[in-house]
Amino acid sequence: MTERTEIPVEFRCIVTLGIDFDGPSHEVGRGIAPLGIHSWGRYSARSGIPRHMEMLSRHGVPCTFFVPGYDARCHPDTVRAIDAAGFEVAAHGYLHEAWDLEEAEESRLLHQTDDILRDLLGKPVLGWRSPSGRKTQNTMRVLKSLGYIYDSSDKDYDLPYRLRFGGGKDDWMVELPNNTYSLDDFPFYKFSYTPPSEVLAQWQSEFDAVYASDRFFVLTVHPRSGWGSGTPARTRILDQMIGYMRSHEGVHFFSSAQFARWCLDHPQQLEEVTIP
Amino acid sequence: MKPFTWPEGIRCAVFVSVNFDAEAYDLMSTTESRLFGRFSYGRYGVRAGLPRLLRCFQRRDIRATVFVTADDALRHPEAVRELSGAGHEVASRGQDLKPLPLLGTGEGEVLLRARDALAKIVGASPAGFRAPGGELGANTLRLLAELGYRYDASFQDADHPYLFAPTETFRLVEVPGMQALDDSLVYSARHTHARLMKIWREEFDALYDAGCLVPLTLHLRGDMGSTRAARIAALDGLFSYIASRPGVCFMTGAELAALALSSGQEPEPDPIVLHQSTLAVTPYRGDLAVKPI
Repeated sequence: MTERTEIPVEFRCIVTLGIDFDGPSHEVGRGIAPLGIHSWGRYSARSGIPRHMEMLSRHGVPCTFFVPGYDARCHPDTVRAIDAAGFEVAAHGYLHEAWDLEEAEESRLLHQTDDILRDLLGKPVLGWRSPSGRKTQNTMRVLKSLGYIYDSSDKDYDLPYRLRFGGGKDDWMVELPNNTYSLDDFPFYKFSYTPPSEVLAQWQSEFDAVYASDRFFVLTVHPRSGWGSGTPARTRILDQMIGYMRSHEGVHFFSSAQFARWCLDHPQQLEEVTIP
Repeated sequence: MKPFTWPEGIRCAVFVSVNFDAEAYDLMSTTESRLFGRFSYGRYGVRAGLPRLLRCFQRRDIRATVFVTADDALRHPEAVRELSGAGHEVASRGQDLKPLPLLGTGEGEVLLRARDALAKIVGASPAGFRAPGGELGANTLRLLAELGYRYDASFQDADHPYLFAPTETFRLVEVPGMQALDDSLVYSARHTHARLMKIWREEFDALYDAGCLVPLTLHLRGDMGSTRAARIAALDGLFSYIASRPGVCFMTGAELAALALSSGQEPEPDPIVLHQSTLAVTPYRGDLAVKPI
């Protein structure tokens, strides 16, 4: 057991890239038809994901696609193509539920999405990221019972840790925290209308600081249009960002599941955290 | 599906569209007798902005597509005729700017009246439509088809024009827009025109390299529109830059629609049909007063 998570010296810096599919589920889940101005999610499967996959493959870096179950049901071929290209597919709610759910309903939806993705992929799903970042201890219990090995939703730290959700020996989950204010695309494109080149400069500055300190960098983008990064100029700066990180010595890119497995193999190097 | 390709010699098409949104916009927050002061930015767009924008288009040899509500067209028939006479395409934006999903069963009647009012002023039925606020109802695409529209320009979900089949035989073109290329959002956030031009240049460069449609959406208004002198000057510089790139072709919505119709693309299923069963059992969590389906 360690007081504070230690990233081993053989990893100069760890990077995990996450792409939150956020197709039509985002609107349909709110009871909004994906028409007109509400059609941004339709861009994900049509253009954003193929464009992102092409760019990632060119760099040869792994990436995790967090997919709402409903979007997987609407775009099964896209999800299979993500998997076939060697990227990880993880779960991201059913209808991108960005609101609090009752336990029974939440449990039903987690199972439903897991069934859809498992059927499509023919293998277990290993990770989950909350749509909007809402979760409870119950969420972790259900995911653990489904065989998930990590969650990537919490915002409370800069390093991975063991998140305890119960008193039992195995009642913990690998937590790969992310920051959706700084290391995400939508705040810049939805709220501050920041030019893509400035978003790149911002992310580079964030990376420089992480590279010099915690050495664990989690970047999240969305392949939709509107406030997402699926369009050419925004994919381009993501491309340049990955190039920037690759140009640094000792940067190791992992899919979230690959890195969660490393965490499971080295639990003694992870801080254990109990949220009261 | 067959990928979309531009005709020989065209690297990318630039669709310059203008949302007229004059008093129609102010009237969403006030009444006819109060169109003064803070509620006169719409009138600015017509009085001060439009002549300036028309000169800019003429200088750069650009034919734009102007989406205008019937109410604004009836208030400014001369401006609308001038636009049309200068070679710009006049297209419909409904009767006023009330979101179509709120019109319920009256939507068809409103769209018919709006089309006819515009046709009477311009002398020809509009080929294109852009929904107020970009909000479409479950029946809007079918109603547009029944009213003889050739294209809609309200979605934001593709890099190129594509086709819908609202009825078995009718093909309605979708000319998709792009949020990042809408001036009103950035100006509403009180950013500078230098910032907007920086964004647009970066977006244009990448769209150009990828051979995508470049759908610019301008507004006439004096608050969140592009027609103040300094903003027009900035825009003029951008147009000059865009026009200097080899293979750029400025196209109107109707020209893009004709291109898409002859492209041999397969039409897409109506999004409503795809999602109807889920929407029917999903509580509405949006911003409108009533659930739009």
